[in-house]
Amino acid sequence: MSAPSSADDIVTPQSWVSVFRKLNAVLPPLALSLAALILWEAAIRLFNVPTFILPAPSAVVVSLIENRAQLAAATQATALEVLFGFVLASLVGIAVALVIVRFERFGRALYPLIVLFQNVPKVALAPIFILWFGYDLAPKILLIVVIAFFPVAIDMLAGLQSVEPSFVSLMRSVGAGNGKIMMRVRIPHSLPHLMAGLKVAITFSVIGAIVGEFAGANQGLGYVIQFASTQLDTPLIFAALVVVSILGLIFYYGVELAERILVPWAPKFDPIHRGAQT
Amino acid sequence: MSAVAASRVMTDPPQTADASRAHIRARDVTVDFVLGGRRQRVLNDINLEIPKGSFVSLIGPSGCGKSTLLKVLAGLITPTQGEVSVAGRPPQQAAKERMIGLVFQDATLLPWKNALENAAFLLTTADEKMPRSEAMDRAAAMLRLVGLDGAEKKRPSQLSGGMRQRVAIARALALDPEVLMMDEPFGALDAITREEMSECLLDIWERTEKTIVLVTHSIDEAVFLSKEVHVMGTGPARIIETLPIRLPHPRTEASHSDPAFTAAENRLRGLLIESHKRKRV
Repeated sequence: MSAPSSADDIVTPQSWVSVFRKLNAVLPPLALSLAALILWEAAIRLFNVPTFILPAPSAVVVSLIENRAQLAAATQATALEVLFGFVLASLVGIAVALVIVRFERFGRALYPLIVLFQNVPKVALAPIFILWFGYDLAPKILLIVVIAFFPVAIDMLAGLQSVEPSFVSLMRSVGAGNGKIMMRVRIPHSLPHLMAGLKVAITFSVIGAIVGEFAGANQGLGYVIQFASTQLDTPLIFAALVVVSILGLIFYYGVELAERILVPWAPKFDPIHRGAQT
Repeated sequence: MSAVAASRVMTDPPQTADASRAHIRARDVTVDFVLGGRRQRVLNDINLEIPKGSFVSLIGPSGCGKSTLLKVLAGLITPTQGEVSVAGRPPQQAAKERMIGLVFQDATLLPWKNALENAAFLLTTADEKMPRSEAMDRAAAMLRLVGLDGAEKKRPSQLSGGMRQRVAIARALALDPEVLMMDEPFGALDAITREEMSECLLDIWERTEKTIVLVTHSIDEAVFLSKEVHVMGTGPARIIETLPIRLPHPRTEASHSDPAFTAAENRLRGLLIESHKRKRV
């Protein structure tokens, strides 16, 4: 009892405050979700809704557990498609932006075509890609690239071109050419913009993978959803949806983590501005 | 030797005889911009001679082309007609030899670099062979000169507007240029910070003996800092008068109440009001 307590045992007021703040951030959305789930469960039981129309949350959980092996394999397949597709889409988007800025004349020709292409409904391309490349990884990756490169290219382009003109003058005043200005100022300056584009692209990538699997696949979460719907196994559809959502969330926060590490100077994005908090 | 000097006086017009001391020279400079297919004269027939080690201000109503003139002197804009030289070279050449340090109204610091790295940035851009440690040492020395010792590791977002502008000045000075060209460097700062920065700049000028060209629209700033003020007018943009400021050095806060200060201030105000009236007509 009287043993001298080490400094680690003492919980400082600051850490209490930070724990409280974290709880404060997590608890309200958690409570709201829980309330919604309880309401949902109660409504299903109260009105005797058939499971194949809308399963209760408990039925979804049961399905998640029962089909865990199938869902795990499907998740792996989808995650792989998303990862490859996202990386390729990012590279294509970055390359397009760099080309448009570097070769201005070509850029003027290319940019309207890209915007035009952006207006083609990509979902409609999925069957064509299946036709060309079969049921493997390739058509899904291609579909993701087509869907997800655009926000990357547009945001990167905006970043490259939003360098203050006076900074360009400054670089020119010491004899720096376009290449040097690009490498030393434009590209690093564009990184926060690029990260914003990547965040949009990663969510598009998940959508692209699922759409690709809908169009024709023998594995993946999209395939599971489609297969389950032919069997009227609605709880499995919902179970797969839950998994897709979690997968998307993990990917999204992965990109956000990368942003914090790679561009710590990027302005913090706070979706709900809290004016009172200091 | 006297024969050579004499022959030069004989053959050259008188103003070029002492122009050999001119560090920056603009002769018959005219700049036309083409805006929407229409040719527009931005600068008309500018003649300017700035001696080495002088502190000169360009003052005038907005739109009189003073920023354009500074860009011409810095080699960022090539004049349509006429000639510019800095230290006897074309300005682009002088810029390549790191003779020109530029400061703009916005500090334009790189947000991903700290104060020290920002101050060294132009130097390392201009001279890639310079060892990093040497560039950093020079930048650190310049940060001390502008009174920012201790703030080396701070990022631009952690600095006040005045401190950011000090970093921008240190960045220009780190090049060890012969000429410092500043385009309304304190325009975005509050009144007190402005005065602080003016004194800081005067101190730098006295210590480094650089030639400084300052574009400003503040009469007070122009008189307090300069040895000579070039007043510019519009329609077409040109220099309407060159006013020497005979205010003794070192200048301090007390200089503001010097009769020479008030006289110069009144004269400048008169010239500016006149040129402004003419602009409206």
